[in-house]
Amino acid sequence: MVTLRNGYIPETLAEALKIRSENQVVPYAGGTDLMIKAQPSSYLFLNKLSALQKVEQDGDMLHIGPGCNYTMLLNHPAVPKVLKEAMIRIASPATRNRGTIGGNICNASPKADSVLILYASDAELKLSSIAGERIVPIEEFFTGRGKTILREDELLTDIRLPLKGLDDYYYYKVGARRAMAISRVAFVGLLNTENGKISRVAAAFGAISDTVLRFREFEAMLLGKTLAEATALKPAFLAKYQEAIVPIRGRVSAEYRKQVCMNLLADFLNSNGI
Amino acid sequence: MDTISTPVKKLDHDLKMSGAARYTDDLQIPDMQHGKVLYSSVAKAIIKEIQLPQLPEGYVIIDKNDVPGENFVHIVADDCPVFADGVVTYIGEPILMLVGPDLKKVRELLSQIVVVYEEQTPEIDFRKGETFFYHYEYEKGDWQKAFAEADQVLDETIETGYQEHIYMEVQSMIGMKDPNGKITVAGSLQCPYYVHRALQKALGLGPDKVCVIQAEMGGAFGGKEAYPSILGCQVAVAANKIGKPVKCVLDRRDDITVTSKRHPASMRYQAAIKDRKITAIQADIRYNSGAYITLSPVVLQRGLIGAMGVYTFDALRVEGKAVKTNTVPNGAFRGFGGPQTFFAIEMFMNHIAKAVGEDPLPFKLRYLAKKGDETSTRGRYHFHIPMPEMIEKVDKASGYSQKYQEYKNQSGRYRKGIGLGLAYHGCGFTGSGERDMIKGVVRLHKLANNKVEVLTAGTDMGQGLKTTFVKIVAKTLGIPIEDVIIKNPNTDFVPDSGPTAASRSLMVVGKLLNRAAEKLKEQWEDGEEQEVEEHYVHPEFMIPWDLSVFQGDPYPDYSWSANVVEVEVDTLTGVTRVIGAWGMYDVGTAIDYRIVQGQMQGGFLQGIGYGSIELMDVNSKGQIRNNSLSDYIIPTAMDVPHLQTDIVDHPYEGGPFGGKGAGELPAVGGAQAYISAMESALGTNLYKTPFSQEDTLEFLTKGAK
Ligand SMILES: Cc1cc2nc3c(=O)[nH]c(=O)nc-3n(C[C@H](O)[C@H](O)[C@H](O)COP(=O)(O)OP(=O)(O)OC[C@H]3O[C@@H](n4cnc5c(N)ncnc54)[C@H](O)[C@@H]3O)c2cc1C
Repeated sequence: MVTLRNGYIPETLAEALKIRSENQVVPYAGGTDLMIKAQPSSYLFLNKLSALQKVEQDGDMLHIGPGCNYTMLLNHPAVPKVLKEAMIRIASPATRNRGTIGGNICNASPKADSVLILYASDAELKLSSIAGERIVPIEEFFTGRGKTILREDELLTDIRLPLKGLDDYYYYKVGARRAMAISRVAFVGLLNTENGKISRVAAAFGAISDTVLRFREFEAMLLGKTLAEATALKPAFLAKYQEAIVPIRGRVSAEYRKQVCMNLLADFLNSNGI
Repeated sequence: MDTISTPVKKLDHDLKMSGAARYTDDLQIPDMQHGKVLYSSVAKAIIKEIQLPQLPEGYVIIDKNDVPGENFVHIVADDCPVFADGVVTYIGEPILMLVGPDLKKVRELLSQIVVVYEEQTPEIDFRKGETFFYHYEYEKGDWQKAFAEADQVLDETIETGYQEHIYMEVQSMIGMKDPNGKITVAGSLQCPYYVHRALQKALGLGPDKVCVIQAEMGGAFGGKEAYPSILGCQVAVAANKIGKPVKCVLDRRDDITVTSKRHPASMRYQAAIKDRKITAIQADIRYNSGAYITLSPVVLQRGLIGAMGVYTFDALRVEGKAVKTNTVPNGAFRGFGGPQTFFAIEMFMNHIAKAVGEDPLPFKLRYLAKKGDETSTRGRYHFHIPMPEMIEKVDKASGYSQKYQEYKNQSGRYRKGIGLGLAYHGCGFTGSGERDMIKGVVRLHKLANNKVEVLTAGTDMGQGLKTTFVKIVAKTLGIPIEDVIIKNPNTDFVPDSGPTAASRSLMVVGKLLNRAAEKLKEQWEDGEEQEVEEHYVHPEFMIPWDLSVFQGDPYPDYSWSANVVEVEVDTLTGVTRVIGAWGMYDVGTAIDYRIVQGQMQGGFLQGIGYGSIELMDVNSKGQIRNNSLSDYIIPTAMDVPHLQTDIVDHPYEGGPFGGKGAGELPAVGGAQAYISAMESALGTNLYKTPFSQEDTLEFLTKGAK
């Protein structure tokens, strides 16, 4: 372990968790979010922790180390296309070489592009401390803009991504330009069918509210239905979202962002024959 | 065979590509202090009180009381104070500077200063403003008769927004005082002698007691034409008071908030139409000057001169006002008043064409100005105008004419559009400025070792001026480029060749160098130290410009452009992709083909940004809300993956080796090409820049407003 004037560079995860439990430290991965609001802090630099930089497939479950940067993940064959499509639109090559998926999650911005995909794909997060570990669904991790349930002594140590059914996806990011653009609206939709019946619907919206939005209760309306039945339910389904999506005010008007959400949601259904 | 156009490696290439170039922020001088300016946070107020924190030793406040000369920054007029004198008139007006050894501490102390304002109602909307700094009018032909006899009158208001320069290097300046009381200012600036004159006035010193040096400069685009005079006076006053060097580098947020931008414009155009032909045009134009005059009269003049675009009309009337508002003073920006009116007339011509049942291009072709025509201001187009040839080339490269037909009546999620925008840029200073005001002087100094030093006040801000000046001199003298020396200007050594602005440097100063080199060549003595000087000579063919009646030749010649943009609109989101951009330019002979290409591509992209995504968000209190690079969006290379530019070569006989103005031209034609493409994609008329994703979706949802 190296101790610096502004923090620590542990070499093992155990060391890192120990420091985390004994000191007031800010975990530092790629630093691309932290650098912007640089404060005099004591940092826990995670860059030497190979345990956090692995991608491992275990059957239908992909384990993504939170310390993997975007470039690593974009080049990794096991990472699903829908996640890659979101990641390639993040920032620029230089930032993608530094920025990590773990940082994207823990920064807890509703505009985080990789988080949107993790929401729709029912990912789970492993949070570890010297006391033990817990696994939480990604939706439960966030409690607000910039707020998570992560405890002072914990680190995010694994992202568990169920790979099934991710091939048929609908993804769209509205940025102010084609690169170096934070999402104004981002949408992802997943729809799977089994034996002619809808077995999964997931629709997630980024950059709209304090966290990514996903409405499981609305999605349930279509579960178990045939496409024809779903088509009949479509107006009622869209009406629910029309009511529920209330974008918080931002640089780009709420009216515009809402309209885009509704247009994309309808087009997502449309593209699935609903 | 190598010609003057054959590209050479830019003289600043290695320095900048290696990262070795030292910009103002990199310069360290012993005992240097840091200054930060406190800016007004309200748009109009009387300053009742300024409450200062306890200042530690070595931290000093500099304000109006420290200005030894007149508390005005000399630009066009003397109306803008160095530091506020009891009142503030826009958000960003400088009130005082806090100076000290530690920058962090300076920032901290600055944030503790409390200004008590007695606020007044500010004038924010320039469309409604009734105070005019300048008001010009001119006319030609019997426009009243044409309007009286018209069988149709088209009447539209077209608007353009702000544009922020986003030079990579923010405004930065260092002030220094030597033991004899001489003040030197070094920094990022386009016009050393503008700063020099402003310093004399604010410091109350003679010309030999002030010196201005241009440091390495990371972009300017016009944004460092006037503002460095303000910042220069501030650091000079500070250095004068404390006797130590004072550096002030603006933060990006401050830079966006307090420095000049492109003037927003509101332009009412009326056309008299008879037998489906235009018989007269009227234009009523307003430019938002902001709180002070700075460069507004000259910006407005250029806009008004170009109000009829690239066309010849027999009858017209143009009226223009520079409106005073309680907003940041606007100023020079590549194109200098041109992009606004050229946008308006191009959109108006599209709309007139459609109103008489024609497509824009064939309609426009019939009105194109040509050699020998009388200009709007009763000057003359003295030289060949290669517009038809350029349009033909750009049409061929882009497939414009065919695509324009194809893209009518589209349906489906993605819709394509293609648009054409035409423009010119008058080369050199407007009117008789070159003869009456600037009177440029250049010198060539030959050393005993036969190397020749170029002495001008011209500044290289990345546009390649050092390289082109050196090429002109080397080629004229018939010596290798390596034997010509050029340094950043220092007013102690270089004559006043005028500002680096108005697309004048290559054509006007370059010509002076060309003549100086010819003279030196005649007198050349091997191994002798020699010096030659050249003074500006006004082209005799020009019809004298008279500003009082707005008549005559405002420029000796013009540079021309034809621009095409192709877009694809996603109707579900309003997101628009530029799928192609083609530009054809006439800049006389390119003194360096690659430099010209660089200028054309960058300028074109800047013009497309102006039309599409560069939205400055100013609220009703006059506050710029998006003063950061994540919120004020400019295009990246990713936004125009296919950008193709080229030039036609028609030498201008009045310029060096046939060269004329190039730097600003490409920024004048991009927005109209982009918005025309949006008109084609959406099948409607549009009236403003920028036209954003939001505007697009709103149109698609609710129809045209
Ligand atoms: C120019 C630029 C453009 C950008 N564009 C985009 C974009 O288009 N889309 C987008 O989503 N984001 C964008 N970002 C934001 C940023 O790059 C991403 O959020 C990135 O993924 C952050 O990762 P990092 O490793 O740099 O995080 P860091 O800055 O190192 O950390 C971010 C936060 O996460 C915490 N943290 C990191 N790792 C852990 C861990 N293992 N356990 C617990 N806490 C942890 C840190 O303490 C901190 O609070 C951009 C940033 C910049 C500078």
